[in-house]
Amino acid sequence: MRRYEMMLIVTDEVEEDAAKAVVERAKSAFDAQGGRILDEAWWGKRALAYEIGKRDHGYYAVLDVEASAEAVAEVERQLKILDEVVRLKTVRPDVRIRAAG
Amino acid sequence: MPSKPRTKSKKSDGGRPRKEKPCSICARGIEYIDYKDLALLKPFLNERAKIKARRTSGACASCQKHLSAAVKNAREMALIPYTTR
Repeated sequence: MRRYEMMLIVTDEVEEDAAKAVVERAKSAFDAQGGRILDEAWWGKRALAYEIGKRDHGYYAVLDVEASAEAVAEVERQLKILDEVVRLKTVRPDVRIRAAG
Repeated sequence: MPSKPRTKSKKSDGGRPRKEKPCSICARGIEYIDYKDLALLKPFLNERAKIKARRTSGACASCQKHLSAAVKNAREMALIPYTTR
């Protein structure tokens, strides 16, 4: 089990509630894989630095999780299938600054 | 990870050795360069949003390495442009 930090960009073609539902889905996917959500941050609608798929805004969310590498790979696979997810990135921070969970 | 600040002297054009500024990241005691921390990354980009060279940014080797990785992560997540104009 390791600590990961996943950032999601959800398309602004959907309403904010629908975007939050995508994040909930990511969280339940982690739960299903035996992961633990340590912290989550909702950045809301934010301007993208450049156009992605003809859209210049997106909803940002950051999840801090403790999970196995296989769990992260599986959650990433499930999320990539969703059309609402524009982009996602999972990093493994070496040192934690933000106190989590 | 960034180590303790270090200064080394380097000969400038005038011939007199000039003391190099310590790395600003190490001096601030930052132990993890987060790609989400745009306020931290912005000073290391020029006006074209390109990563400043090590001799311009004044970052030490290890900080520069972590910085460039963080900037590239931030670019992928559309937090920082790849280039402007």
